[in-house]
Amino acid sequence: MEYKDYYSLLGVEKTATQEDIKRSYRKLARKYHPDLNKGADAEAKFKEIGEANEVLSDPEKRAAYDQLGDAHQPGQDFQPPPNWDAGFEFSGSPSRGRSEEEAYSEFFEGLFGQAYQQQRADRARARFNAKGQDHHAKVVIDLEDSFTAAKQTIVLKVPELTPDGHLVVRERKLEVSIPKGVKQGQLIRLKGQGAPGLGDGGAGDLYLEIALNPHTLYRTDGVDLYLDLPVKPWEAALGGRVKVPTPGGVVDLKVPAGSKQGSKLRLKGRGLPAKPSGDMYVELQIALPPADSTRAKELYESMARDLDFDPREKLIREIQSREQDHSNA
Amino acid sequence: MTGEVLTDDPKLTLDDLCETCGVSEVTIRAYVAEGVIEVNGDDAGRWRFSEITLVRVQKAYRLQRDLRLNAAGAALALELMSQIEALNDQLERLKRIRE
Repeated sequence: MEYKDYYSLLGVEKTATQEDIKRSYRKLARKYHPDLNKGADAEAKFKEIGEANEVLSDPEKRAAYDQLGDAHQPGQDFQPPPNWDAGFEFSGSPSRGRSEEEAYSEFFEGLFGQAYQQQRADRARARFNAKGQDHHAKVVIDLEDSFTAAKQTIVLKVPELTPDGHLVVRERKLEVSIPKGVKQGQLIRLKGQGAPGLGDGGAGDLYLEIALNPHTLYRTDGVDLYLDLPVKPWEAALGGRVKVPTPGGVVDLKVPAGSKQGSKLRLKGRGLPAKPSGDMYVELQIALPPADSTRAKELYESMARDLDFDPREKLIREIQSREQDHSNA
Repeated sequence: MTGEVLTDDPKLTLDDLCETCGVSEVTIRAYVAEGVIEVNGDDAGRWRFSEITLVRVQKAYRLQRDLRLNAAGAALALELMSQIEALNDQLERLKRIRE
């Protein structure tokens, strides 16, 4: 098994007080809590510091751990010396907050597991019925998958209790069909696919949270889709027909004359295929043609000459009226 | 295998919610009082919760348990998390427009 340096995991010195350890653990727990930290390794890190805290915050376990000595490096292969814990008394059961099915590292199990394994086995044998824990998993799908009931293969890591009380982690593959029209953040329940229950208690449920991969074109809000559509200045000013990509194919869209930057146009029913289907909103982004040729420059120059257009008129008026207010006051 | 999509129809009773989430009635009442979850009316016997609530309760409870928060703290954390998520979405969008 691999040696774990619980002190460096919590970022404290070997001489740290119980108070230092508590403070450091709490700070790290907030940082790496899997609900708060979306990083891929946050959950593993959170478990690791939880385990370090479990040992170091308990004076009995800390003393036992300390006497393993300084000779070990993290990650190094490690076997506890025979009867290494002779003379230490462990009174606690696995601490609150961590349910029994959550796996500890092999290192922790090797050191402190025995006392608990007996308890676990006793409990497992007792006539005790409880529903198994619910499990949660996130499934990332592409926007297009929401339009066609897509199949997704999900790999879950399931800690399981053997009859003699050992914990083993098993991989489980599930093929799940994602219903048509699922949206960001939607939840799907798979009954009985969570952790097995105890005794006659049924298995827990598995909750899948849908996350949509960010799409290069569309963004979603519930069942509605949003698309930023670049248009030419004359299309916005004079109106015209433009081609718009939608997940269901390219459609024709009429841009009304006098459209402004950021104007929103709705394509009814072109959003996610829910009941009722979402809409697609096209937000106009006016693109400027570059003045990179003599002809283009001429056109810009003639606009500058002939158009009475001052986009800053309002700003100037605003600042002048403020100045006036000030001098009146 | 096909799952069921959780809906926002209010059909779970207080007992259902406690049992499915594995939390006490006291916890649920605190979450209702703090606005972590929505409910209609004052009479707890008539409360009905949507299935979406299940997941909010479980998340609030994990935060409360793991970070030693009270119900108000868990409510604040959830609120700030959803604000951060909305801001991140907006940021992503603005980045894409600039590209």
